[in-house]
Amino acid sequence: MIGKHNKGETSERLERLGRAIVRVSAEANEAEAEAVAASPFLYARLRTRINAEAERRAGGETWLTLLGVFWRSVPAMALIAVFAFVLFWTSSLGTTTTTSPGVLSDEAFMDARDAGIESVVFAERRPLSSDDVLATILREDEREVSR
Amino acid sequence: MDEQADNSDLGALASPGHAADAAVATAADVSDVELVSRAGAGDEPAFEELFNRHRRRVSLIAGRFFRQREQIEEIVQESFMKAYFALPDFANGQENSFASWIARIAFNACYDELRRLKRRPEGAASGDISEEEEAWLKSQLRSAGAGADVEAAAIARDLADKLLARLSPEDRLLLVMLDVEGMSVAEIGASNKWSISKVKVRAHRARASLRRVLERFV
Repeated sequence: MIGKHNKGETSERLERLGRAIVRVSAEANEAEAEAVAASPFLYARLRTRINAEAERRAGGETWLTLLGVFWRSVPAMALIAVFAFVLFWTSSLGTTTTTSPGVLSDEAFMDARDAGIESVVFAERRPLSSDDVLATILREDEREVSR
Repeated sequence: MDEQADNSDLGALASPGHAADAAVATAADVSDVELVSRAGAGDEPAFEELFNRHRRRVSLIAGRFFRQREQIEEIVQESFMKAYFALPDFANGQENSFASWIARIAFNACYDELRRLKRRPEGAASGDISEEEEAWLKSQLRSAGAGADVEAAAIARDLADKLLARLSPEDRLLLVMLDVEGMSVAEIGASNKWSISKVKVRAHRARASLRRVLERFV
């Protein structure tokens, strides 16, 4: 009973002392705070700081705006890139089919592209030389003369 | 260009002369809410008038937590700068009193600074309590009127700072609001956007923390 009473009393003392300490610490600087409040150039310094902060925020906004524009343009740029890639890929495929002298596709053999038009299909891997062409022309002429 | 306009406005308000006197009188007569709406529209002297009205209150709040003059001034500038950029929030919000609004901003600035100091290694380490201070603290705790003559003792100021540095920023903020500012639980709740029960629980914990700090010296 006595121990409980003593514990309660100690706790009460601690409580009172704690409050007093908080008050002392908080009220010790009132004179310093008053001096700061009475400082003559306090507003000028605040104004300078506000201007600097406004400039900083404006700079940040510009940067954010640019970032936003870039971010919005990403899908469009990706679409253009995909389209360009597809275009390049298909055109390169077409070139391979028509320009490679050694490779002959079924399409070339069947002459599917120019149906109805007579064309010469060379099945040899060797490309024609100018002498071959001249010899062919001369042969055709001789054949006509012999008729 | 704007700066010139600002300066001319400020000059008109501060310079001697009938027109300037009339402007000052007008500015002094208008309410805080009216000044806020004017300052929000870019009226520089209106914001200066708000600053002059509330600078002392904000300085005193900063002085509750910090000793050095530079720290107090830093809190004052930080608080009014935040208020300047948040003026539209005040105008659009449910706030009725600029004084309580700026006080809340100041308390938050103090809290942020306390947390910042606590995170720094040199700030986290609170000063050691000397033997003399410890003996004085023990004598205070033994006496029946504990805390009665604390305020009169010169030793108490440094000791109080050292002891309070051992508390968390939340506990310190709450104890100052309760025991020094004399704010009610409802006011603290509104200030920190906490529920009343949360304020009560936190206040209980803050007092328990301070008791634990003091118990080490019993």
